[in-house]
Amino acid sequence: MSVETIVTDKAGLQKFYEAIIAKNETYAPVEKFGKYDFKLVKNLSECDPESPIAKTMSAKPLFFPRSAKIMKYVATSAGTDVSETDEDPLAGKRVIVGMKHCDARALQVLDKVYNWDFIDTDYQKRRLNTVVISTRCDKAETHCFCTSLDYDVENLDAMDVLIVNGNDGKVYIKSKSEKGIEFLNSGVTSHTSRVTEEAAGEELKKQYTAFSASFRLKMDYKSINEKLSKIFDTPEFENVSSNCVSCNTCAFVCPTCHCFKISDEKVKDTGVRYKSYDSCNNGYFTLMAGGHNPRPAKYRRWRQRAMHKFVYYKERFGENLCVGCGKCTTSCPVNISIFEVINQVSK
Amino acid sequence: MDYTKQIQEIATRLFAEDKIDVFVGYRLTGFDDNQVPALIRESKDVPLLVFNQKSVFNLSNYLKNDHTRNKRVGLVVKGCDSRSLNLLLTESQVKREKLYVVGIACEGVVDDAGQKMQNCLECMVPAAVVYDELLGEANMERRFIINADIQDMAAKELVQRREYFEEVFENCIRCNACRHSCPLCYCAKCCIDQETATLYNGANTTSSAFHALMTWSLHLAGRCVDCRNCEKACPSHLPLHLFHKWNERVIYENFQEHLAGVHEGDRGAFYKYSMQDPDDFIM
Ligand code: SF4
Ligand code: SF4
Ligand code: SF4
Ligand code: SF4
Ligand code: SF4
Ligand code: SF4
Repeated sequence: MSVETIVTDKAGLQKFYEAIIAKNETYAPVEKFGKYDFKLVKNLSECDPESPIAKTMSAKPLFFPRSAKIMKYVATSAGTDVSETDEDPLAGKRVIVGMKHCDARALQVLDKVYNWDFIDTDYQKRRLNTVVISTRCDKAETHCFCTSLDYDVENLDAMDVLIVNGNDGKVYIKSKSEKGIEFLNSGVTSHTSRVTEEAAGEELKKQYTAFSASFRLKMDYKSINEKLSKIFDTPEFENVSSNCVSCNTCAFVCPTCHCFKISDEKVKDTGVRYKSYDSCNNGYFTLMAGGHNPRPAKYRRWRQRAMHKFVYYKERFGENLCVGCGKCTTSCPVNISIFEVINQVSK
Repeated sequence: MDYTKQIQEIATRLFAEDKIDVFVGYRLTGFDDNQVPALIRESKDVPLLVFNQKSVFNLSNYLKNDHTRNKRVGLVVKGCDSRSLNLLLTESQVKREKLYVVGIACEGVVDDAGQKMQNCLECMVPAAVVYDELLGEANMERRFIINADIQDMAAKELVQRREYFEEVFENCIRCNACRHSCPLCYCAKCCIDQETATLYNGANTTSSAFHALMTWSLHLAGRCVDCRNCEKACPSHLPLHLFHKWNERVIYENFQEHLAGVHEGDRGAFYKYSMQDPDDFIM
């Protein structure tokens, strides 16, 4: 695969974004009540592709919506008629700008489960029709630990276009996929100049070195995987989870969590069936119809969260179900840090 | 306002005299100068306890916790926290004899930016109203102020209010952190928990958020003590106090200056139905 590398400056980057928004159905971080969520935008002024890490929601809902209609039904005297829902608003050709690297890599992790025993065609279609443009961060936030996980800066294959703010004041825009090359040649970069990969390579490396030196949190995930897999019964889970309030927040804001529940909205004889987020940390997650709950205690639910992220998913799919984005910690009502939890229990 | 030393001494004493099984206080997060609730079960962990203007969370929320249920609990409460504790006592959720309450005559807590929180600036009852031991001087006279944001909201046209709240409901992700962080939301089967919801579907739609938040705020009308646990917990940073402060004002003005949980044994405004109650504020 050939690579397109473009070099420009800050003003050129703004023009690039403007051209994208003018020509495409574009989603970008939009601020409301001090928090940024990905929304459809018509102008660059409505959004901020460089929104602050800790205040930005994941773009996961654009692929796996917080709630999606999955079918409609009408109950008649002869039985129930089931029909497809209206057109999926997320299935068209579109572009996402302003996704952080961790968030983009989460798609790479999610692709595996959605291509597994059941192929989620809605998810696939949304993925296929989306161009993901992601900016590499300049500096880590308090709860970031993405570089400690399977993060491979050269092989983030869930994104199509990479943007790097070089330490030399220039902006590098690089294709990461065939889709990315095609996109960069769709008239959105006519104001910029092409450079060879070698010419940009040195600066990209320098930026990465400075970026990876900015992390407060560092760990060796392989030893965590190893230790966690052996300590299912450690009483430490009780300590680390004692102040958890069992809400759904950590899972709902997490870019890799993919649990869902099914519910109906019914008015008289017609209804819509929804698929919406669920979380293993709430007390109902494993509640069975007969009333039995295999995970009634909080520590068991937190254990499930830690184990699914760093043991079970890894065993099945070869990757951690965590990209180290820190969103769960930032959003948790009592600031429970998954980084601390896994490090403390496997001490 | 720093009672770290006193609280550590009290907790040490309570463990030594075998008066408690768990002490609920605050500890540092370990990564910044913010604090998180700490459930201390052994005296060796007492040195973790701290208390100062960063001790924000209302700890009475932990009285519905696995670790405290049917246990003897030591608990730190500020003014607002003690009011919710009072309501929990009145509503038979906890037994007073199971608790050792360390009350604080609170001087206000601060947000992440170090600014005194709005509820603290407007607080009517800063000193704990229920305690076994009080730290600080309870001599602060306050008067009821209509919350500044509520005044702004009241000045708006109905359509503008509607537009504003539509955005609130649109940005709610239905995570229920608000309900789980509220000390007065203790129902084992909550009507807004999506899994048990029978009033509306459990989906994350604007209409489900509308129903959930409206139901939730009405269940707290006349009970909410303005501790803002819910608002601090919200990952979407939604201005949840607007619901509660609106209700608080209406109730204060219409029901004999009722303020939730201030007096022992006083029940929520909505428990005290009387034929003479005014109803002209409804819609
Ligand atoms: S578990 Fe937390 S840090 Fe890991 S991906 Fe999810 S939100 Fe990010
Ligand atoms: S951590 Fe919990 S909510 Fe997230 S994917 Fe795993 S089981 Fe589901
Ligand atoms: S967000 Fe925090 S309090 Fe809520 S379930 Fe997750 S860890 Fe527990
Ligand atoms: S509301 Fe009052 S009692 Fe509660 S923290 Fe603020 S000042 Fe203290
Ligand atoms: S509704 Fe919010 S402010 Fe009111 S008591 Fe509950 S948590 Fe505190
Ligand atoms: S915490 Fe915020 S986002 Fe979550 S359900 Fe409550 S209002 Fe909605």
